[in-house]
Amino acid sequence: MHLDATTLSLAIACGVAAGLLAGLFGVGGGIIFVPTLVILFSFHQLDAQATSLAAIIPVALIGAWRQNTEHLVYWRGAVIMGIGAAFGVLIGAEFALRLPEATLSRVFGMVLLVVGGEMIISSIRTLKVKRASTTAA
Amino acid sequence: MDLETQIGRIGVLPYVAIGVVSGLFAAMFGIGGGIVIVPLLILITKMPARMAAATSLATLILTSLMGVIRYSGSGHIDWVAAIVIGTPAILGVLIGIRFQKRLPSEWLILGFGLFVVVIGLKLVFTL
Repeated sequence: MHLDATTLSLAIACGVAAGLLAGLFGVGGGIIFVPTLVILFSFHQLDAQATSLAAIIPVALIGAWRQNTEHLVYWRGAVIMGIGAAFGVLIGAEFALRLPEATLSRVFGMVLLVVGGEMIISSIRTLKVKRASTTAA
Repeated sequence: MDLETQIGRIGVLPYVAIGVVSGLFAAMFGIGGGIVIVPLLILITKMPARMAAATSLATLILTSLMGVIRYSGSGHIDWVAAIVIGTPAILGVLIGIRFQKRLPSEWLILGFGLFVVVIGLKLVFTL
């Protein structure tokens, strides 16, 4: 990896941005780490994904520890999901070899559009109800 | 009944299912974890948004650790790069959590929904 002042400062900026998303939304930051490594440091996709996983560990650890001080972590569920994910990875690796990648990504993208859309609609609905009740009161 | 008992009452199965689905997506798209776990926790287990985000981070400790173990020794992990981007991210996560505390949960869900839609659009249109 070649490090000069520009790439280093860009890497730090992307790191902070990934951490912000992790803290706010509970995602690991891979969504920013992976493209950063591919575009900024010319990593291959697989190297970027593997390195991103390593970078996520301290973020997840410190984030979960911080949230735990407010009792926001449901550890039992987290451990069960972690074990489930290990099985999911094994099954997913089989599927990934059999289906074309572009089709997979499109399907996943559409699932995300539906899920994200549902979250937007439900939150706006709650906001409207709240606003109506405050004006009524 | 406290929150944990209430959430525990739905049983183990939804958590197993959410875990499997997130692992499936991680293996198939390289996008895993949180973007799948958080919305499913909110929609299926009815977990409050902040708790879903916090619990997702705890799951990611395990999944990223397992991933690193799987890749270690394969030469795919660049540890220097991981430290260069991971260290500032620690600062970011602490700021993000502080900001999350002040945000009403509807706004948090709205923000997450927009974030998920952007990623979805990117996947649908860029390949």
